[in-house]
Amino acid sequence: MANKKRFKPLTGETTKVILECISDGVFTIDYNWEITSFNRAAEEITGISRKDAVGRHCWEVFRSNMCEKDCALKKTMEEGRPFVSTSGYIINSEKKRISITVSTSLLIDETGDVIGGVETFRDHSLVEELRKELATRFKVEDIISNSDAMKNIFDILPQVSESDSSVLIEGETGTGKELLARAIHNLSPRKDKPFIAINCGALPDTLLESELFGYKKGAFTSAIKDKPGRFALADSGTIFLDEIGDTSPAFQVSLLRVLQEHEFTPLGGLKKEKTNIRIIAATNKNLTELVSQHQFRQDLYYRINVIRLSLPPLRHRMEDIPLLVDRFIQKMNMRQGKFIQGIEKKVLQAFMSHEFPGNIRELENIIEHAFVLCSEGYIQLNHLPGFLLLPPDASDKKDNDPVKSAQIKLITDALTRNNYNRSAAAKDLGIHKSTLFRRIKKLGMTL
Amino acid sequence: MNLAITIWGNRVSPVFDAASTLLVAHIENRMIIDKSYTAFNPERTSDLIKLLKKKQASVLICGAISTKPAELIVESDIKLISFVTGNAINFLENFARKQIIEKAFMMPGCSTQYCWRQKSR
Repeated sequence: MANKKRFKPLTGETTKVILECISDGVFTIDYNWEITSFNRAAEEITGISRKDAVGRHCWEVFRSNMCEKDCALKKTMEEGRPFVSTSGYIINSEKKRISITVSTSLLIDETGDVIGGVETFRDHSLVEELRKELATRFKVEDIISNSDAMKNIFDILPQVSESDSSVLIEGETGTGKELLARAIHNLSPRKDKPFIAINCGALPDTLLESELFGYKKGAFTSAIKDKPGRFALADSGTIFLDEIGDTSPAFQVSLLRVLQEHEFTPLGGLKKEKTNIRIIAATNKNLTELVSQHQFRQDLYYRINVIRLSLPPLRHRMEDIPLLVDRFIQKMNMRQGKFIQGIEKKVLQAFMSHEFPGNIRELENIIEHAFVLCSEGYIQLNHLPGFLLLPPDASDKKDNDPVKSAQIKLITDALTRNNYNRSAAAKDLGIHKSTLFRRIKKLGMTL
Repeated sequence: MNLAITIWGNRVSPVFDAASTLLVAHIENRMIIDKSYTAFNPERTSDLIKLLKKKQASVLICGAISTKPAELIVESDIKLISFVTGNAINFLENFARKQIIEKAFMMPGCSTQYCWRQKSR
């Protein structure tokens, strides 16, 4: 009996007090979409007083990007079921966009009758600010990374940019060579001058020469007037020569002359023209090997290889995948007017077990593919291209060694907790990074 | 005089930043003479400003709007009447007739001075 007395049901007054004490905004509406109650946190988040809010239509007070097209409360009222943690933003009374998550459900009275809807919302602006701050810590210009290999590049980038030396960027296709070249240009004293990129591998020799050096009227049949080349257009700026390893020996000679003499002659021209440009070249091939095979001129190699930066493939910086995924989702949400919140855990696992031969460009394309199929919420496995289907779960495999299984689980959990950052996972496990690498190898784990 | 208003069905769109339809009304002798509807992308404020200039709309009326697009619009010599709510046509007719914003058409927490902005000379 004593227990029954102690746990008597809450009165309406107590419920009101609780609603006033919580930090989540809460409001209720009736069937006319008019606000019937508005708690203290709702006043604080929206900047609108309860007196002004009650009796007004919810969209006049709440002012969310979801009101017109994707109202969670409307869906709840129509479908009779709750919706949890839908993300969006509101515009408060100070004209600020406040990031929020909302949850909605039906409002049911003590007799069981539905009398309206209830919406709770949480201010996420602080989380957003922290997330942005965190993102900028791992960002140089448009390049995002938290990996040690990229950090080494970030560390020397200011000095590299400040100098006027030629730079050779090596890296597989899709690793962000042009992005790095742009970053060097944007951080350099030439930043206010043009940055011109040209893919040397995409053009045949004659076209490449006319593109780079320009031509004079009458140089060939269709040359009806003078056309300046990329060297002239990039004057005082930077020229980015992508796929330099794919150029012909003849073109390499022409390019070497420009680099040595700082002047060039347009096709069909007689006079040499002076040029003041910085060269950044890039290749996905091993130029040293090409030199030893006499497929690339050694003298040109030395001219462009003053500073060499090697971009690691994505499979060597898997800890960057969550950061990159976040970035691409933000970018595509903005571009397509969607509000995809992220990826499911299984999707991250699928990414982590993929080799990414196409590197970051491939990851971006995968996210773009998922955006076509995913209209809201989180990207799931069925939104991914077929080739990314997860291999059979390691836990399904018959393994008679329970110690080995336990070790695998321990390492996998630590990696998941630390966004696949191996250094952080090693620290988490209380072991040295090299010990972790050794164990991963010994256990035959594929990451 | 041409006025543009962001709409959602027959209402003023509650949030400019998420609106997608623009109604441009031509007003003469304090009456709406002509109306046209067009789609727009609120994330591309500069495109919207070009569209407003093309339609010779000197005033933009909308619901809640965040600081960034509001400043761009005002800086482009377009009068901005924001935090407006209610039936779009009723608002336009009322505004054309009286040239003032009545309290009934203001979102809660707004004053006339707050809602109406134009570039300071």
